[in-house]
Amino acid sequence: MTIASHEPVPIVLVVEDEPLLRLFAVQVVEDAGYEPLEAANAAEAIAILESRPDIRIVFTDIDMPGGLDGIKLAACIRDRWPPIKIIITSGKPLPPRTVMPAETVFFPKPYRQDRVIASLHQMAA
Amino acid sequence: MLSQSQAARRAGALKELAVLDTPEEQAFDDIVFIASRTCDTPIALISLLDDDRQWFKARVGLDVRQTDIAQSVCQIDVDEADMLVIADLTRDPRTAANPLVTGERAFRFYAGVPLVLRSGVVVGRLCVIDTKPRPEGLTQEQMTLLRALGRQVSDQLDLRRAAQVSARLLELQTALIEISERIRASDEAVEMTSAAAAVVGRVLGVQRASFGLVDPEVEIVDVEADWTAPGIASIAGRHRFDDYGALRADLVAGEPLVIEDVATDRRTSANTAAMYALDIGALVNMPVRERGRTVAIFIVNASRPRLWTADELLFLRSVADRLEAGVARLRAEQQQGVLNGEINHRLKNMLSMVQAIASQTLRTVSERAPVESFERRLVALSAAHDVLLQKSWKDADLRTVAKAVVETVGFSERMTLDGPSVPLGARAALSFSLVVHELMTNACKYGALCVEGGHVELTWAIEDNDLIVRWRERGGPPVVSPSRKGFGSRLIRLGLTGTGGTELRYEPNGFEADLRASVEHLAQA
Repeated sequence: MTIASHEPVPIVLVVEDEPLLRLFAVQVVEDAGYEPLEAANAAEAIAILESRPDIRIVFTDIDMPGGLDGIKLAACIRDRWPPIKIIITSGKPLPPRTVMPAETVFFPKPYRQDRVIASLHQMAA
Repeated sequence: MLSQSQAARRAGALKELAVLDTPEEQAFDDIVFIASRTCDTPIALISLLDDDRQWFKARVGLDVRQTDIAQSVCQIDVDEADMLVIADLTRDPRTAANPLVTGERAFRFYAGVPLVLRSGVVVGRLCVIDTKPRPEGLTQEQMTLLRALGRQVSDQLDLRRAAQVSARLLELQTALIEISERIRASDEAVEMTSAAAAVVGRVLGVQRASFGLVDPEVEIVDVEADWTAPGIASIAGRHRFDDYGALRADLVAGEPLVIEDVATDRRTSANTAAMYALDIGALVNMPVRERGRTVAIFIVNASRPRLWTADELLFLRSVADRLEAGVARLRAEQQQGVLNGEINHRLKNMLSMVQAIASQTLRTVSERAPVESFERRLVALSAAHDVLLQKSWKDADLRTVAKAVVETVGFSERMTLDGPSVPLGARAALSFSLVVHELMTNACKYGALCVEGGHVELTWAIEDNDLIVRWRERGGPPVVSPSRKGFGSRLIRLGLTGTGGTELRYEPNGFEADLRASVEHLAQA
């Protein structure tokens, strides 16, 4: 992946409560050539989003402690920061009739790194 | 004199016989005919003694079907259960003022034998009446024959009842079987309860049958499923027991609440308006118990007063028990589903962790292909688990498993899947998905899927109790037999059940694989 030097590196916010999996997701984002930010839950993610208007993509888990899950976080982002693209992942199958916000893709866990990276590139383009 | 308790027993017995106000029946008509001929009297009657009247089940020589009980000669000394003979009714103080004697009917001579049921209750008499006095009474033979005919009537009444009861039992039994079947076939509680309500409503001939959940204090019932006869309103919704009378005590104790007439029952007589507003004249509320507590009730309403027989109550008890068992089964299945989902979720997280650890550990490895293969195999295994989870880890269908793998790898538009439905046990499903994954990976690297226009046929068939899976690649590049056996081809050679049965052929027009395993083995593995 080549990114023109005069353009800023796209910023991707990784939201995942399990530290090892967060570390892995951060690595995937770095391998794709982007700058990762980390949050351990939805509340933290929203706080970061409020202070960093330059975030382009959010890569979030669904099941997280603290009331707000990844689906609700995605809905909130779609509402408050419409331009941000979203990648959702989960170890659970999506509940039937789940309404995914627009501009959102889903990967079941464990996901293939190459697929996620391809998706990141598409969203950052 | 009539003893009150014996009169009550008689009334109860007659109610159970369900004979009052029924049409003529040949068996009884024959008996009164024989009685009148035997005793040479113009009149012969089968008189049943109700509370306030005597009603004639069969009669010869009389044009009325009933008279006031005060005019009944049959009721005199009836509880002594012996023959009563009055030679001249005008001369007997008990009958001299009876309008049937003094009036135009002019009864003079009377002889009657008691009708004694097997239960010992006397329900009436078979009698012969003459309009002329008979100082000589009946002959010995006439008396013997009249007694015998009396026993015939009693037997007929008992038999008639027994036939009715057994026909009714059969009906209730059949209904219970139907309810059980419909409960077994349902996978939703509301479906179970409404099916049961409909059958109960029909077989009991009532106006409403419903099922309602009860709060822990048994104060409120939330009626869910509701069956009603045409023209009867639903009572679906919330009701407070105390608004309808003193109904709670029985239900709290787990006893069925049985009311034959809301107007006379002490529990409801104070407030009949609430019941009548819902067209309820009689009712049964059968508690559904769980761990010694009433959690729901099965409700049956009749718009008029009605006798609930012991068999009907037993039937309702059985229906309530079956509903309880059915709902408990659903709940257990739901819990199992939740548990399976949780286990799968943890398994997925664990696989993700393995992936994360491997990825970090192998970061410095310069050859990336094996690292990527590892990740792909892990993801294929995970997809196979999803298929098994949907079937609660029992067994999965071969096509579903194959489709899941194909969707994980991609290329579904260049794959043809065809074959019958074949159940795979959990282990076979996992092995099969890994094998298909390897075959696809190879096809992507060296075979039909690595060039435009190539395609793969994955077909399967049952032959002589063996499952044969055929992998056929067509339109690929020239086929080269590999020089070295890697982990991938070893995995393929393990086959469908991990015990071989695999044949690989590097044919000039495309790679082919045949995988064979016994159907029995597959379903058990």
